[in-house]
Amino acid sequence: MEKFDAIVVGAGPAGCAAAYTMAKAGLTVLVLERGKYTGAKNMWGGAFFGPVMGEIFPEFRKEAPVERFINRHIISFMTKEDCLSIDFKSYHGDEGSSPGFIMLRAKFDRWMSTKVEQAGAILATGLEVTDFIFDGSRVAGVKVGTEEFPGNVVILTDGANSLLAKKAGLRDDYKAPDLKQGVKEIIKLPREVIEDRFGVSGSEGVVMEFVGACTKGLPGGGFIYTNQESLSVGVVVQLSALLENNVKASDLIEDFKEHPSVRPLIRNGETVEYSAHLIPVSGVAMMPRLYSGGILVAGDAAAMVLGTGLILEGANLAMAAGIAAGNTVIGAKALNDFSALALSQYESLLKESFVMKDLQTFRRAPHFLENPRIYNDYPEWTCAMMRGIFNSTGKARRNILEVVKESMKGKIGLMQLVGDTLKARKAI
Amino acid sequence: MEIIVCIKPVLDPDLPPAKFTVDGKKNEVIPPEGVPFVMSPYDALAVEAALRIKEAQGGKITVLTQGTKYAEEIMRKALAMGADEGVILSDPAFEDSDGFGTAHVLAQTVKKIGKFDLILCGRQAADWDAGVVGSLIAEYLNIPVVIRAKSIEVLDGVLKIERISTNGSEVFELGLPALVTLSSEMGQVRIPSGWGIISAAKKQVPKWGATDIGTDPSQTGAAAAVNRLVKLYVPVYERKCEMVTGKDPAEAAARLTEKILAIKP
Amino acid sequence: MKIEDKLSLNKFDIDREVHIRVDEEKCKECRLKPCLYACPAECYVERGGRVVFSYEGCLECGSCRFSCKKGAIDWVNPRGGFGISYQFG
Ligand SMILES: Cc1cc2nc3c(=O)[nH]c(=O)nc-3n(C[C@H](O)[C@H](O)[C@H](O)COP(=O)(O)OP(=O)(O)OC[C@H]3O[C@@H](n4cnc5c(N)ncnc54)[C@H](O)[C@@H]3O)c2cc1C
Ligand code: SF4
Ligand code: SF4
Repeated sequence: MEKFDAIVVGAGPAGCAAAYTMAKAGLTVLVLERGKYTGAKNMWGGAFFGPVMGEIFPEFRKEAPVERFINRHIISFMTKEDCLSIDFKSYHGDEGSSPGFIMLRAKFDRWMSTKVEQAGAILATGLEVTDFIFDGSRVAGVKVGTEEFPGNVVILTDGANSLLAKKAGLRDDYKAPDLKQGVKEIIKLPREVIEDRFGVSGSEGVVMEFVGACTKGLPGGGFIYTNQESLSVGVVVQLSALLENNVKASDLIEDFKEHPSVRPLIRNGETVEYSAHLIPVSGVAMMPRLYSGGILVAGDAAAMVLGTGLILEGANLAMAAGIAAGNTVIGAKALNDFSALALSQYESLLKESFVMKDLQTFRRAPHFLENPRIYNDYPEWTCAMMRGIFNSTGKARRNILEVVKESMKGKIGLMQLVGDTLKARKAI
Repeated sequence: MEIIVCIKPVLDPDLPPAKFTVDGKKNEVIPPEGVPFVMSPYDALAVEAALRIKEAQGGKITVLTQGTKYAEEIMRKALAMGADEGVILSDPAFEDSDGFGTAHVLAQTVKKIGKFDLILCGRQAADWDAGVVGSLIAEYLNIPVVIRAKSIEVLDGVLKIERISTNGSEVFELGLPALVTLSSEMGQVRIPSGWGIISAAKKQVPKWGATDIGTDPSQTGAAAAVNRLVKLYVPVYERKCEMVTGKDPAEAAARLTEKILAIKP
Repeated sequence: MKIEDKLSLNKFDIDREVHIRVDEEKCKECRLKPCLYACPAECYVERGGRVVFSYEGCLECGSCRFSCKKGAIDWVNPRGGFGISYQFG
């Protein structure tokens, strides 16, 4: 039976980046993906940030199936009836300097996996890896049901729901407080309508994030991203908070769509897909062992997700980690040594890259973001303050400071505010 | 046994309608981008039937598909299931051919291959459901054809075919070479194994164009199409529900009967 | 929009093999039934005080797996190629 240099489990951003890196270096690579086609099982918000895409695929601007380049961020605090937004537009020239771009997974994954095949890797879809072949304690390949596929190294990039990381002895199962659940609808609208409603044209795009009533005050948020001819509308909530408060994400997304500030944006749109996925959000605190004999783990399967509150970054970290894993295996192959010691190079490469640096910098963010005041009191307060400022009651007006004080009454103590601000400075 | 199987990529016929758009102006279906087409499910039955015959008595299976986008994808699938070889028929001259043009292309390919005992096709493609290509290939090659087969057996060079008819089934016997189209009553289609997919990925699949197979340019492409698509639209189903009641079931039934009888065809 | 209507927009290749099994004996002793709030596809519903589970609309998110403290949920992915397929994602 043929033995591959490397077997990659899962063809998401992490797996594709790893496979592409290795195949280009001439290694024999097998990529196994459980979806009927690549992307079939995957969903996300949709914003890709940072330069890593260009580093691995310099041609991506011409080729990648980008929906829109982000030039407008809107952050909103919402109560049941109000919505206070910060609207940041950036017209710093062309697509080239855009801070990020929006994609949909079906197209994105297919594009990446086609690249991987063109580089010489074998991609096999519709195959769910169920177990490993072990040689002593070392991983020596994978099993798909009764079929065996031997390989020198297995790169585990099977995403948030990895059952295999546990089987390989790299970690325990994730826990509900460390996970967020995301649900999303794709809502179809004509391109012109999207451009008019969101104030964009051509390839410009908008990322909107909402905090507050959209999650009934539970840790998380709502989002709307503009695609070419549809909107991605969704809600992300801490899983344990759903369970403890008897709240369903399927209800939250319905309420979100009905919110007076959201309804006009999606009016007359046709929902064409409903999806859900988990996100590991506790960063370094929940990270597993990243390697052992014959195996490396990257991406969501290793909790490499950066949540700073406003945005979620996982795809870019996954790709960077995939590249690092790929390069580690290239080095190991040159020495024909696939032991844990040889693969420890992976951790060093990750530490040098932005992956571990950013996760370290924001290591306090996950805990800070569990603070319920962010999702309840602050949206209530800021919106009450705005109401106070704009409300003409016919009586003599008070000055703004009084309005601010009044709006804080019974909601937030001054000391709490100071404390949270300090914590925020440390965490994010 | 030399078996030739013809397959076609189609938009997954089970896709919910929300996933694609019908452009009524251009008479076009716009599929979701990034989602590969599948082998037409009836054609997959033809591949399955070929594999069963091969398993019973040996032979070689060659798969043909005409098309550009996703032809490679479904060809690899057929090879992964266990077919031996494949040829992709691709040429700008073939594009937008109708059933007649496609049958011409496939018949010319079979002539070029030369040696064959049996040709298998799906009873119809799961996109337009025209169901003419199989019969036309047989016509062009001047060989007998049986359509909508439920099972095929080959005994001492004689084909025994059970075929679906309006009132049940019919059994035919005929000599080789022949062409048979397969119907869903044939049963389950196998799922390719992992190693099947790997060996399929490594196979070379030649691409043949008009000059390779010697097609007649006046018989392929949009200009040669015998069928013209006049209107493509999503039908609107109107459903009305009327509750028929009565003081007892007998009265309700009597009223219902009256209403049914009053409906004029 | 009702959940059934949303799920009907999705493409499922439903396997005859069930991929998630719920041990209803254990559910009898379960008061809070957190699984009801875990599932974004509402595959877990309460009927007459009992939790009834159906796997057909499963979006394979894995949430229910982390919800049940009684170990009543036996969770794996559907066989390769089966289950949900997204066209947009
Ligand atoms: C609602 C939501 C919004 C998000 N928004 C953003 C965003 O805007 N920007 C951003 O950068 N990130 C975002 N993320 C995070 C991002 O999607 C992930 O971090 C990223 O996809 C991780 O990539 P990965 O390759 O590690 O895993 P995945 O993308 O999950 O890929 C894993 C692959 O492995 C396959 N697989 C799993 N198990 C097996 C098996 N046993 N055998 C074979 N194949 C298997 C899966 O089918 C899948 O294709 C979001 C996530 C969610 C859920
Ligand atoms: S949480 Fe577990 S034990 Fe309780 S009802 Fe749900 S599946 Fe049953
Ligand atoms: S995996 Fe997700 S969608 Fe499937 S039953 Fe569990 S919670 Fe519901």
